[in-house]
Amino acid sequence: MSARRAVLLVGSARPSGTGNSEALGAYLLARLAEGGLKAEVFHVARCQRPEKEELLLAAVDRADLFVLSTPMYVDALPYLVTRTAERIAAHRATQPEKSAVRFLAMVNCGFPEWEQTRTALDICRAFTRQAGFEWVGGLGLGGGEAIHGRPLEELGGQTRNLRRGLDLTAEALLAGRVVPEEAQAMLARPAVPSRLYTAIGSLGWLRAARRQGTLRKLGDRPLE
Amino acid sequence: MNDVTDAAVDSAAPHPATRAVVLNGALSGDETLAPVENELLELLRETGTLVRDFQLRDIPLAHCQGCFECWVKTPGLCKTDGDAGREITGALIGSDLMVILTPVTFGGYSSEIKKAMDRSICLVSPLFRRVDGEVHHRKRYRRYPALAAVGVLHAPDEEQERIFRALVERNALNLDSPATSVCVLPAGASAETMRDRLTTSLEPVLGHLAGRAA
Repeated sequence: MSARRAVLLVGSARPSGTGNSEALGAYLLARLAEGGLKAEVFHVARCQRPEKEELLLAAVDRADLFVLSTPMYVDALPYLVTRTAERIAAHRATQPEKSAVRFLAMVNCGFPEWEQTRTALDICRAFTRQAGFEWVGGLGLGGGEAIHGRPLEELGGQTRNLRRGLDLTAEALLAGRVVPEEAQAMLARPAVPSRLYTAIGSLGWLRAARRQGTLRKLGDRPLE
Repeated sequence: MNDVTDAAVDSAAPHPATRAVVLNGALSGDETLAPVENELLELLRETGTLVRDFQLRDIPLAHCQGCFECWVKTPGLCKTDGDAGREITGALIGSDLMVILTPVTFGGYSSEIKKAMDRSICLVSPLFRRVDGEVHHRKRYRRYPALAAVGVLHAPDEEQERIFRALVERNALNLDSPATSVCVLPAGASAETMRDRLTTSLEPVLGHLAGRAA
């Protein structure tokens, strides 16, 4: 069975067009659209009011495929995603006959190791079970901050493996299969070595602090 | 604030200086955590621990916006003021023991707990360190509280319990907690069961804190 309708839920609280989770989800949706799948995009930050939440719940119920693309916050799903997941699970629990919806989770984190997303992915899988969805796979990505919210295609060779992994994911989903292990293997290949990534990351934080005039305050302990 | 209470101070107790912060993550309408919290507070009271108890669902607390301004613009402080965020993070970093009390939610914490946890990233530095070959954020403060988590499961679920334990261990690693304990209880457990399991799980953490104080 091929998925014909998809819902992408972006789990970042950042403004639209600036988040890494949105960039990842947008790339995957574009590949799915090439296969004839129509998608609706929701952002958790804009689904907290009851009328918006109703729209999301209805879209999920009629979707063939539900994709969550989210950052990892403190080793797990962010508050807004957790709250939305609670609402979705509660909504689905009231349905005697649940619609068949396949669920894919994509979790990105700022640490270079994708393995640090495992607990968040496990939480997504438990959510899938509780909400009565069909788990088709979870993808974890380390070094997510390197995307800087930009379209993956614009990042060239830096995102080659990442895009290949998402291409494999889209192919599998369009063919009605689960996400192949090779897709995660492609995402697991670091774009840059871990030590270089952290050096670049640290430099980025120091530059940002200098722009703010807080370079000498970066280690402040205001709550002590 | 009526949601914050000093549970007890007993100067005759063996570790009178221990300060604990309890974050109660019960969702609206869920009263299954209340008896667990009563036992927990009683147990801490008996050890002479000074407790601050936050009923998160009743407290105005905005969510983390993922802007990282607490790392670079106002280092160590979330830009959001006027809610309980700074009070909670200040209480956490000033405590010896942080206790998370939550319904086990898809193996993790409830959204109420997550809202408070997400706001706690100001307690670490944006810069990196390596722990056992894995990258984590550097410490901002000299010392961090021990971490105890008490999860309430509405139905037996080994997979959710496994995830919950893994999550607490990951949090302890990232928050540099000097000691950790996890207790998973079934909803509606008897007072005796609650007390036994809470005592057993908290013993090593309280023992660690007592040793540090001695």
